[in-house]
Amino acid sequence: MLEIKPIFNALLRSKVGAVLLLIQIAITTAIVSNAAFIIKDRLDYLNQPTGYEEENIFKFNVMTFGTDVDLIQQVDLDEQMLRAMPGVVDAVQISAVPLSGGGSSTGFRLKPVPEKSKSVNASYFETDEHGLNTLGVNLIAGRNFTEGEVVLNRDYSKFPKVALATKALMDDLYPGEDGLGKVIYMGDKPLKIIGVIGMMKGPWLKIENRKDKSVLLPLVDPRKLHQFLVRTEPERRAEVMKQIENAMHTNYSKRVIQDLTGLDVKKADYVAEDRLMMRMLVILISVLVLVTALGIFGLTLFNINKRTKQIGTRRALGARKSAIISYFVVENSLICIAGLILGVCGAVLLGQQLMSHYSVPALSNLYVAVTAIAVFLMSLLAVIGPARRAANIDPSIATRTI
Amino acid sequence: MFSHYIDLSWRSFKRTPLVSLLMVIAIGVGIGITMTSLSVYHMMSMDPIPEKSDKLFAVQLQSMDEGESWWSPDSMPYQLTYRDTENLLNADLPFKRAALMKTGFSVHLNSDKVKPFLEQTRVASRDAFDMFNLPFINGGVWSKEQESSAAPVAVISQSISKKLFGTSNSVGETFYLDDLSVRVVGVIEDWKLHIKYFDLNNGSFNKPEHIFIPFSLIKANEIDTWGNTNGWKHEPVKVFNDKLQSEKFWLQFWVELNNASEKRVFEAYLENYIAEEKKAGRFTREKAEYKLRDVNQWISYWEVVNEDNKIMVALSFMFLAVCLANILGLLLAKFLRRAPEVGVRRALGASKKQVFFQHIVEVGMLGLFGGVIGIIVAQVGLFGIRQSLSYYDALANMDISMLMTAPLIAISACIIAGLYPAWLVCNTTPATYLKTQ
Repeated sequence: MLEIKPIFNALLRSKVGAVLLLIQIAITTAIVSNAAFIIKDRLDYLNQPTGYEEENIFKFNVMTFGTDVDLIQQVDLDEQMLRAMPGVVDAVQISAVPLSGGGSSTGFRLKPVPEKSKSVNASYFETDEHGLNTLGVNLIAGRNFTEGEVVLNRDYSKFPKVALATKALMDDLYPGEDGLGKVIYMGDKPLKIIGVIGMMKGPWLKIENRKDKSVLLPLVDPRKLHQFLVRTEPERRAEVMKQIENAMHTNYSKRVIQDLTGLDVKKADYVAEDRLMMRMLVILISVLVLVTALGIFGLTLFNINKRTKQIGTRRALGARKSAIISYFVVENSLICIAGLILGVCGAVLLGQQLMSHYSVPALSNLYVAVTAIAVFLMSLLAVIGPARRAANIDPSIATRTI
Repeated sequence: MFSHYIDLSWRSFKRTPLVSLLMVIAIGVGIGITMTSLSVYHMMSMDPIPEKSDKLFAVQLQSMDEGESWWSPDSMPYQLTYRDTENLLNADLPFKRAALMKTGFSVHLNSDKVKPFLEQTRVASRDAFDMFNLPFINGGVWSKEQESSAAPVAVISQSISKKLFGTSNSVGETFYLDDLSVRVVGVIEDWKLHIKYFDLNNGSFNKPEHIFIPFSLIKANEIDTWGNTNGWKHEPVKVFNDKLQSEKFWLQFWVELNNASEKRVFEAYLENYIAEEKKAGRFTREKAEYKLRDVNQWISYWEVVNEDNKIMVALSFMFLAVCLANILGLLLAKFLRRAPEVGVRRALGASKKQVFFQHIVEVGMLGLFGGVIGIIVAQVGLFGIRQSLSYYDALANMDISMLMTAPLIAISACIIAGLYPAWLVCNTTPATYLKTQ
């Protein structure tokens, strides 16, 4: 009924056009399915929950060049001043800023060095008892450390005895057990875990097996260059940020305030490359689909022009308009399906290549299937207009010019 | 004859403006997208110091114990320990050597004239300026004596000099790095570099530093790194001297070797050095390992070219292929419709070769137009990239070679696509078409 045999025979007589279209459809399918998959992968990465109210938190660096001041005392004064500012929820001096791409990490162990032991790499933040509240992360078990447990200045005889850790880290070190109250080792120093934190991303979102594993150490050890983290009430961050430089200089002037940035901006900077890649891929596939659609459109138009007489003759011999439309639709579908079969193979191969050479996860078949269906629908859309035009060819044309 | 063909092409272009325009746009978009990703790739992989990139070598030493591994491709540490750096720097060898470290200070004049600012600073040994081709505008590098006595001197860039002193001739002036007063001995041109090849530890595309101080200040003033410090065993560091004595990696080291024989001499020295250190209980691995990589090897070893970018280049070339298949189809349609006209030309005596050549000129012209549109599309694309990533400023640009490449790729791609249609049309049998008219 669909007259596949004669259509197929006709195709064999003008192979080149059909082969070109087939190649276009195949490459389009291969590219679009892989690109769409990478886009989805990046979107998940960009939109992952972090555990912070990013738009209410900001950070800044303080570089002290004056030598007439005790840094620990100064940090204490600065913190009191910051916490008293209107609109500020809490503020703290901290050794690393989450989501920023910069910080410290080390292996946390079940036994002290030099004993052989399982070791899990995790980020750590040195801060005081206000750290937890400033970060605004969720403590799911246990308690925060107290002011008395915070160790001032680095001295190996006075290393913290307690710490907070994320659930992801404790689950990795003690699988199947409750992490609360367990002891882990940082080098040869034991740390009793007095509180377990739920969701809290570390400084490096890119490092898959480290991003959820963090430790908060009750340690204040400001260097010449140290940083503060401040959480404000909703909508008041900009207002507070404007006053920081002046307020800090009023407290003590021989220092530089630098990199005053919102946590959301820090994160955006950190993921900028991924966002760029995603945008470029979106543009690439939109233009690609458009070009392929135009190609199908152009080729069908060309075929119709070439076959005006044959179509007129068929109409004169009694073919219905619908038969002419279905002829072109079926012809296009044949090419398209062949192209899709090739394209699906190409997509899988390309996916494998990308996976083996780059850090791209395995292409999910769903993406290939959806892309194939979408390309097929697009080709139908592109062919239907020219086909209707063909159906409107006057039968008299056939008789007139012969 | 050529100008006649161009005239014919232009007439043909005007006769089917829509199809022609469609083809030009298809090529333009294809070339534009390919050129955008290719330009970034080109800038990322471009030799940063072509005149001597094969003479500068980064030195790596395998000083970790047996069984310890590193995250570099061959498990060699990227940086050196202070002890090795100092030994290599002071060894009695006739080669220029640069020991480097990134640090930073608040820079000020101890007055209200200039607002204090934070500035990254490069600690370097004196050969570095000569090795990395840094031209002096005023003054020169600190002397050997100043280097060995850890004199508080500095070489600064023109822009810092203007910022601090309002002039590019600030030799003899003093300024402060934190609480250290330093004297300017030389002013160099701003170091323009798109890949920070000499220290790739903290981002390959960061800007080079503007202030340089002698390497010997590290020990004398206990200057710590602002770059990475990586250890492989547990070593408590209580005072700065512990870090200097430790097995931690935190310094970069380069050597200039002008030919193969110099390289052999230096390699022999390294082998001997490792053997000597072995006696002192270091370098415990059975097989002594060291690596000398020149600038380009170093850049590819660090995988500086972003992998996303490689994927983009591959995808955009596939995209170009789709555009070409598209154009091939349209050309086929366009040329075959003109078969009757070609039949008449053939009958009037035009040879196959002439007809073929005429059509190739026509597609070449389409390619040229497409190439121009491609450059415009690529500029828009690169502008977009610069907008989204600030440190791509220097990278997302087309240099002259890329500007020339765009039309070249466009024209050759079009000619490849036009070969088959042109061949088809020049094989037209004149008789068939003469009959029907």
